[in-house]
Amino acid sequence: MRIRLSTDFVTGLIFVSLGLFAIAYGWNYPLGTPSRIGPGYYPLLVSSGLVLLGAILIGRSLFVPGNPIEGMALRPLLFVLAGTFLFGLLVEKAGFVISGVLVVVFARLADHDFRPVEVGLLAAVLVTFIGALFWLGLSLPLRPFPQW
Amino acid sequence: MDVLSNLGLGFTVALEPINLMYAFLGVLLGTAIGVLPGLGPVATISILLPVTFTLQPQSAIIMLAGIYYGAAYGGSTTAILVNLPGESSSVVTTLDGYQMARQGKAGLALATAALSSFMAGTIATFIIAFAAPALAEFALDFGPADYFSLMVFGLVAAVILAHGSVVKAIGMILVGILLGTMGIDVNSSLPRFTFGVPQFGDGIDFAVIAMGIFGIGETISNLGRGAEAREYVKDYKGLWPSPHDLKDIVKPALRGTFLGAALGILPGGGPVLASFSAYALEKRIAADPDRFGRGAIEGVASPEAANNSASQTAFIPLLTLGLPASPVMALMVGALMMHGLYAGPQLIAEKPELFWGLVASMWIGNLLLVVLNLPLVGFWAKLLTVPYRLLYPSILLICCIGVYSIRNDALDVIVASVFGLVGYVLTRLECEPAPLLLGFILGPLIEENLRRALLISHGSPSVFVTRPISAVFLALTAVVILILLLPAIRAGREKVFVEDAS
Repeated sequence: MRIRLSTDFVTGLIFVSLGLFAIAYGWNYPLGTPSRIGPGYYPLLVSSGLVLLGAILIGRSLFVPGNPIEGMALRPLLFVLAGTFLFGLLVEKAGFVISGVLVVVFARLADHDFRPVEVGLLAAVLVTFIGALFWLGLSLPLRPFPQW
Repeated sequence: MDVLSNLGLGFTVALEPINLMYAFLGVLLGTAIGVLPGLGPVATISILLPVTFTLQPQSAIIMLAGIYYGAAYGGSTTAILVNLPGESSSVVTTLDGYQMARQGKAGLALATAALSSFMAGTIATFIIAFAAPALAEFALDFGPADYFSLMVFGLVAAVILAHGSVVKAIGMILVGILLGTMGIDVNSSLPRFTFGVPQFGDGIDFAVIAMGIFGIGETISNLGRGAEAREYVKDYKGLWPSPHDLKDIVKPALRGTFLGAALGILPGGGPVLASFSAYALEKRIAADPDRFGRGAIEGVASPEAANNSASQTAFIPLLTLGLPASPVMALMVGALMMHGLYAGPQLIAEKPELFWGLVASMWIGNLLLVVLNLPLVGFWAKLLTVPYRLLYPSILLICCIGVYSIRNDALDVIVASVFGLVGYVLTRLECEPAPLLLGFILGPLIEENLRRALLISHGSPSVFVTRPISAVFLALTAVVILILLLPAIRAGREKVFVEDAS
């Protein structure tokens, strides 16, 4: 029988892999005794359950036709995540002004409707407003500009 | 009689102009900050905690309570308007509240949330005043085994929330529990699943996961849907509930209030479990359950009422047993201790003006919430007229700065981005992320109670069925699983038949 790439099948595969990974990674966590359970007991219990459920999903997908996976929206996925990743990498060194502008610009690149002037204005307004709110208003210890 | 004179004492304290002012200030600040996507009550209270240090203890605790209600309501507002739950207990509100907003009923949804919360707040205040001592005694009877079974029941009941497959929903709960085990184990000091990263020693913050999945992931899904489908609804007619709407609100809100009040008292229950269970209950008893998730007004009224009444009754175990039932209550313990006060059974007796002043200010806080927010409903709803191409970069930027500001750790932003990816993939795989969040929150509590229960029973698992309270919850869990599985099996069969016919 041909394996269908249904959402059930892929989800099952993810559950099984995640569960097996957690079991393997936590293999050395002590299980303890029945009356004094160790730190490994509960994760093992939960991971085994996950493997079991994943197996059920895979098994079922072989007999019951599920919904096929719809395509991924790669452009929004890549650009949005690129923006937030860069923010995380840069915020401590470059400050929230530069990294904030990058989030806005990358966010708009995720869409087909990129208007340079509007994006520039939007970035300026958002960074000023949100910076003022979090930095001045809530006096959170943020760094606005790069420090050399 | 005693209760009435106590409440009278409370109102004299709470109605002192200075305390009234702090309550108002707390509600205002709490709403203003809580309405920012991603900043829930925990973050809001943490940020505003220093403001209250200089106040008298009772003013401080009254203001903190005001901040808490304000932030909770602000969280519901963002849940409804932009589908971003600021806290775990407003996750449920996104399900139908956001759908109502998309159908042009944002104002109605916000008013429903405010009115249901006020109704619940009023009733819960009286419940606290009359039942606090007796109910505290009932909660004393709960052993670890009972808490364990209660929380397992709560998790399984939450599966009713998911639209799709039961197996997937339970799997998502387990994934959430597994994520919740990350960090240094409190009992053995063993780092679990920290991958050698020191920051993972405290585990991942709930807000990081929530903002990643609901802020970043949801934005990606929206962008992937194409221009037409993703615009927020522009007109928001029907700001005020019609008499017909009010009739629709009252009964679910009442059910939510009492369910929430009961669950809020139990440590480990609290607003999250209350709102999820209230939603599940409404969906279960509705004549037409298909409307849920598509903008059912009961789906907003009942969880919001439950959430609010549980938020209030959650003070009972805190103030009578010194047992914080939620992260917010843990913050309250911290705040009390900074004023040299220790939450516990002696508090009502030794500081009656503080306890009853707080009870009275809860009601006043709820009143202020309605007075402050109903006129502003139009203002919040106007947020929807902003074009999506301007709104989503703001959401992403607030998520980034918000996540970063939780503990000034840039790694959290990276982790949130990863959860953005996870959230997007989950929607593609038709997995609902809400059960994952609930598993993440309740997972550590379940482990702790499992450990304690087995310690007390000397390793015998029979304790879960021999203790009556635990046995009742486990029996209820079994019933829910049966109810869930029967239609799933039937639907699966029908699907096969449909395929065969075509």
